[in-house]
Amino acid sequence: MGRIDISRFLRLASIAALILFISNPPLFAAENSDEGSGSSIDVMGKVADHDYFDTAFGKIYLPRILLVDGELYFYSSTKKALESGEFTQTETGLIRADGAPVSLDMSITSHLLYVWFGLILTFIITFWAGRKYKSGVGRKTEPKGVLLNIFEVVFVFVRDDIAKEFIPADKYKKFVPYLFTIFMAIAFMNLFGLLPWAAAATADLTVTATLAAITFFITQFNGTKDHWQHVFVFPGVPAWSRFILTPVEVLGLFTKPFALAIRLFANMLSGKIMIVSILGLIFIFTDMFGSVIGASSGVFWVILTAGLYFLKALVALIQAYVFTLLSAVFIGMAAEEHHHEHDESSVAHAQDVQT
Amino acid sequence: MGFLAAGLGAGIIALGAGIGIGMIGKSATESIARQPEAAGDIRGAMLLTAVFIEGVALIGAIVCILLALGIGQ
Repeated sequence: MGRIDISRFLRLASIAALILFISNPPLFAAENSDEGSGSSIDVMGKVADHDYFDTAFGKIYLPRILLVDGELYFYSSTKKALESGEFTQTETGLIRADGAPVSLDMSITSHLLYVWFGLILTFIITFWAGRKYKSGVGRKTEPKGVLLNIFEVVFVFVRDDIAKEFIPADKYKKFVPYLFTIFMAIAFMNLFGLLPWAAAATADLTVTATLAAITFFITQFNGTKDHWQHVFVFPGVPAWSRFILTPVEVLGLFTKPFALAIRLFANMLSGKIMIVSILGLIFIFTDMFGSVIGASSGVFWVILTAGLYFLKALVALIQAYVFTLLSAVFIGMAAEEHHHEHDESSVAHAQDVQT
Repeated sequence: MGFLAAGLGAGIIALGAGIGIGMIGKSATESIARQPEAAGDIRGAMLLTAVFIEGVALIGAIVCILLALGIGQ
């Protein structure tokens, strides 16, 4: 009897905490905004990159590292950079006081921090599990503990259902570490976006473009002779049609990673914008119909947002899976070797679908 | 004008992507019903195809967001 009460209490408390947490960010936005109406919500500010790290207790300003004309400047925050008098603020960002634009901005930003968090978490968990397997747990015995079991399920999933299925059987082992790393890192980065003050680093095009570029280079460096032959001299077609086919195939090399980057970026961005916008309806309703209707409609929006949160958690994992899957498909297509004439047509068809 | 274009565009994107993914779902469930033992393979192929449609739709969605925010004017 007592146990049921405790579990019910815990469940209620966690739901209350969830509602409290997810209803906080727009409140913060409303507090921070200095527009006259008092209800303006900075939607893009929630998804953009910042020079500070948002926590529950306030902002931690991050260091700025700027390279101007070969000279390196280091400040502990944007404010310090402005106070020193060397830099002035414009609407596009910082420039040096004498008007020289920043040639390379290596500042540590909030999104960069979340990329690091994702990578460090992946690193720690993988090395921890690796050490466990080395000592025999999981190899000679069954895997022990929840975390090691989840690790094994995820790893076997990536290896068997992603790598083995799309990369030729004699080569897939080489790519499993990369695919697993990218799966874990993207999943962690996406899931960070669910935390109340945190942001999903993958909702930044630069992050996803970097990840897609890594896949692109791995794909091209592991391309076989057949892969390049298919790009430049497509076999089995009339010679004149190569004038059209070759540019299309060369373009196809670059559209694949481009679509990869855009897909992850747009999915994560739209989730965040949707949540901020729906919670923002509370303030829009307050503006239009008064505070009573606005506040009471909030019950509905918060429940809707809670539902969206579960959807977002699902999307975070699905997008990590999709990115890994497509990386494997692209690598597999490039690493494939064709020995027979008759599978030429099926490969050509598959490449049409990809591009 | 940008808002109008963005709103109409988002609607058309949803329409197109909905039809496309709906057709994938339809044929996938039909083929699973016909051949339940191939469900795993069909599910993989279904996801892969749906992902390509989603990619195109999301590029359209990004264009709509840029239009609505007035970036590039």
